[in-house]
Amino acid sequence: MRKVTITHAASFALMLGLAGCSAPGGGSIYVPMGGGDQSKAPEPPRTSEPETSEPQVWRKSEQPQASEPAPAPEQPTRSPSYRESGDELPAAAVALIRDADQRLQQGDSAGAISRLERAQRVAPRSAEVYFKLAEAYVAGNNLGAAEQFTLKGLSLAGNDSRMQRSGWLLLADIRRARGNVAGASQAEDRARAL
Amino acid sequence: MSKTTKSRKKPSKRQPKNQRSGLWRLLFRFALLGLVVLAGWMVYLDAVVTSRFEGRRFEVPSRVYARPLELYDGASVSASGLARELELAGYRSGNGVKPGTYRRNGGRFVISARGFLFPDGEEPRRRISLVVSGDKVRSFSVVAGPKSPIVRLEPAQIGGIYPAHREDRVLVQLEDVPELLPNTLMAVEDREFYSHFGLAPLSIARAMLANIKAGRVVQGGSTLTQQLVKNFFLTREQTLVRKGNEALMAILLELHYEKDDILETYLNEVYLGQAGVRSIHGFGLASQFYFGERLKDLAPHQMALLVGMVKGPSYYNPRRHPKRATARRNLVLNEMTEAGLLSEQEASDAKAKPLGVSGKPSFTDNRYPAYIDLVRRHLARDYQEEDLQSEGLRIFTTLDPAVQHASETSVSKTLPKLPGSDALEAALVVTAKDTGEVLALVGGKDPSFAGFNRAVDAKRPMGSLIKPFVYLAALEQADRYTLITPVKDQAFTLEFDDGKLWQPKNFDKQERGEVPLHRALSKSYNLPAVRVGLDVGIPQVQEKLRAFGITSPISDYPSMLLGSVNLAPVDVAQLYQGLATSGFNTPLRTIREVTDADNEPLSRYNLKVDQVADPAAVHLVQYAMQETMQEGTGRSAYYTLPDQLTLAGKTGTTDDGRDAWFAGFSGDLLAVAWVGRDDNGPTSLTGASGALPIWSTMMAQIPQHGFSPVMPDGVQYQWVDTEANALTGEGCQNARLIPFVAGSEPDTHTGCNGDLGGQIRSWFEGLFR
Repeated sequence: MRKVTITHAASFALMLGLAGCSAPGGGSIYVPMGGGDQSKAPEPPRTSEPETSEPQVWRKSEQPQASEPAPAPEQPTRSPSYRESGDELPAAAVALIRDADQRLQQGDSAGAISRLERAQRVAPRSAEVYFKLAEAYVAGNNLGAAEQFTLKGLSLAGNDSRMQRSGWLLLADIRRARGNVAGASQAEDRARAL
Repeated sequence: MSKTTKSRKKPSKRQPKNQRSGLWRLLFRFALLGLVVLAGWMVYLDAVVTSRFEGRRFEVPSRVYARPLELYDGASVSASGLARELELAGYRSGNGVKPGTYRRNGGRFVISARGFLFPDGEEPRRRISLVVSGDKVRSFSVVAGPKSPIVRLEPAQIGGIYPAHREDRVLVQLEDVPELLPNTLMAVEDREFYSHFGLAPLSIARAMLANIKAGRVVQGGSTLTQQLVKNFFLTREQTLVRKGNEALMAILLELHYEKDDILETYLNEVYLGQAGVRSIHGFGLASQFYFGERLKDLAPHQMALLVGMVKGPSYYNPRRHPKRATARRNLVLNEMTEAGLLSEQEASDAKAKPLGVSGKPSFTDNRYPAYIDLVRRHLARDYQEEDLQSEGLRIFTTLDPAVQHASETSVSKTLPKLPGSDALEAALVVTAKDTGEVLALVGGKDPSFAGFNRAVDAKRPMGSLIKPFVYLAALEQADRYTLITPVKDQAFTLEFDDGKLWQPKNFDKQERGEVPLHRALSKSYNLPAVRVGLDVGIPQVQEKLRAFGITSPISDYPSMLLGSVNLAPVDVAQLYQGLATSGFNTPLRTIREVTDADNEPLSRYNLKVDQVADPAAVHLVQYAMQETMQEGTGRSAYYTLPDQLTLAGKTGTTDDGRDAWFAGFSGDLLAVAWVGRDDNGPTSLTGASGALPIWSTMMAQIPQHGFSPVMPDGVQYQWVDTEANALTGEGCQNARLIPFVAGSEPDTHTGCNGDLGGQIRSWFEGLFR
């Protein structure tokens, strides 16, 4: 009974993953060797420290107001990076996940996991690969690992609310199956709130 | 008494008659003794033969493979990297149609993969076509063979675990050997193999006749069985006794075993070459060693060469003496026609072919000693050494030859440029950020030297590499600490119970009064780190370290807050794995799986993840570690690396520059570099000037994704004036976009709303929030 619900939630997750995952916010920036953009020389290290010489002196003499835009904006070429969602699945990973699904249907969870780990190496920052791994571990009756992979997937779901929702539902099912009722309903609340 | 005298007398009476019979008896006794000795000797030889024969069947070294290169649309690989990878896996530049060859035209590759039996199934032979542009695979397609959007090349063999006698072989079974090979072997070496009893007197006579005619040894009369027995002896001296023993043992062997058993053992036993200290035995390995092909895929002219080489593997070595080898091969091809194995036409076609030997042996042994060392330690947890040496296991590791190559060159190029380089040593560990797979390992300045493996065994104080964990412990208390919390950068003295004093100092001996927390980390100031650490509590920091993977005891002294915790570079890599993956501990692995010789899986080492920290707090630490690279102690990385490659990292320097550390990550890779002296002496280096150059030189050689963590639940980015400690607008003075655990952002506002563009942007962003 429990397993059935879990598989439902998980295949729901997969459906979402494979159907359309036009995640907003773009993926990570790929940088070929040497940076690809060779025309631009690397910028010398910048510093926003007040004690570093000239700009500071100049500013002091000008008595800048609080509202004046800073001459050297903090953001331009280099700034700490973040994004709002994980990567999309490339075709290669989708093919491996399909293969893994077939293995799961044949009851071969170890075979499925080995294919999903290949998919994970192809798309290590995509939430659905981890949700699928969680599903395979559920099938292999390793609920502890399944829960961890769901959490890992959730950490990459970002602001993709469909992905978030299927992740939280999957987590709720797994937690309930592990006897963690409070954790399960907490996860359900998260899913409902989306 | 009387009896004795009697008996003494008696023989003297019958002397003449007794003399004769005594002689007979003596002869009889001698004969009996001889028979007993011979029988004993036979029993002994029999034991030798059977034990050797049985023993030989099982001593097969284990093979260690690199990770297979996966090719698909979007795969990260450079054209030069792909070419190197192909060479390493024994591919030859050619027409791209023959299996094991590839054709390259600029960025366009056509590769004919040989196929490989992976633990999870057979990767069939395929011909694939692809273009490498912008260090990415594009236009990937399967031209011949089963279609698939992703194809694995055969993994390069990177080492072996050998028995003490260093014999290497790939076992083959008779039913898997193409019939032409044993038939050729018999045609050349032993035509009556299936009918003789171990010896072939007629052949011996024929050989003697031929030798007498020629006046020198031109022909041998040894049967395959005798040749096999000959291999059981370790010495090569030729004596009559030895010949006799061989003959006896050959007969014994034939008595005990079937012809097919003997033939199969011969095929696996015969000596066919040498690679350094490693000897090449059997046709299975010889086929890979000379042609880079599986035995079942050999063409007749290749089989002819291998069979020809049986007579003298070094004399007919096709790499060193191609002319001799060709002549010998053609002689064998003639024999094959004579024996009816080939038609005249086939033989002359085969003779017209070049030797077709691969450029160099498919791998040089022990190319990556430090990496293999770590693999062996991991194997030792689950396997006995003697099993590894004799059971022919297949070990699939996670070594990435491209990353390993980049790591070795960056150490060997960078280290000599550092001041005092003669006494310096280095270590470098590279892992895949999200899988924990160890991709490369360098254990010293000479990467090919199998000595002290510093990457694993040099336990050194981690210095400032500990600071992210100190601040993580603080930032997990979002109500007390945010990235802009001002922390005191002022000297102080701690007095211990025993009256001893401790007075930590900044690296530059300066004090700055108050600095925001993010800058205290990115500039690696010591005083704020100690103050924050003491405030959240040493046990809390220890707990973080343990959760992220430190298993050794951690000091209770406050000096631990400045890194008086001894770790090897691989330990640091393990520790930083959790920081790089938003709080998920991912155990480092060097092995994906181990199978037995028949591809039956023995162990799989699966990917594991374990959430050990609040992802929101880790995200804040990642922010400060990115700032380290852009504005802080790690910024010199961008002298070498392109701006677009966003990175996060941390420098570490211990007292008097005894240890220079750098640990950091991109979107794909995590690497830890260490530089110092084996005698733990002082250097003039810091983490930034000693270890970071090695780290960045390595990173610059690998195409990869920038680090850009997904914003976790419960984190919000806000523009803040870090000096005024208040919210502000984009473009205002001291404005920085900084992540906060929701609710912990400042509640005051500078009143500056920034430029118009920023306002419009934030208005739009508000719409979609």
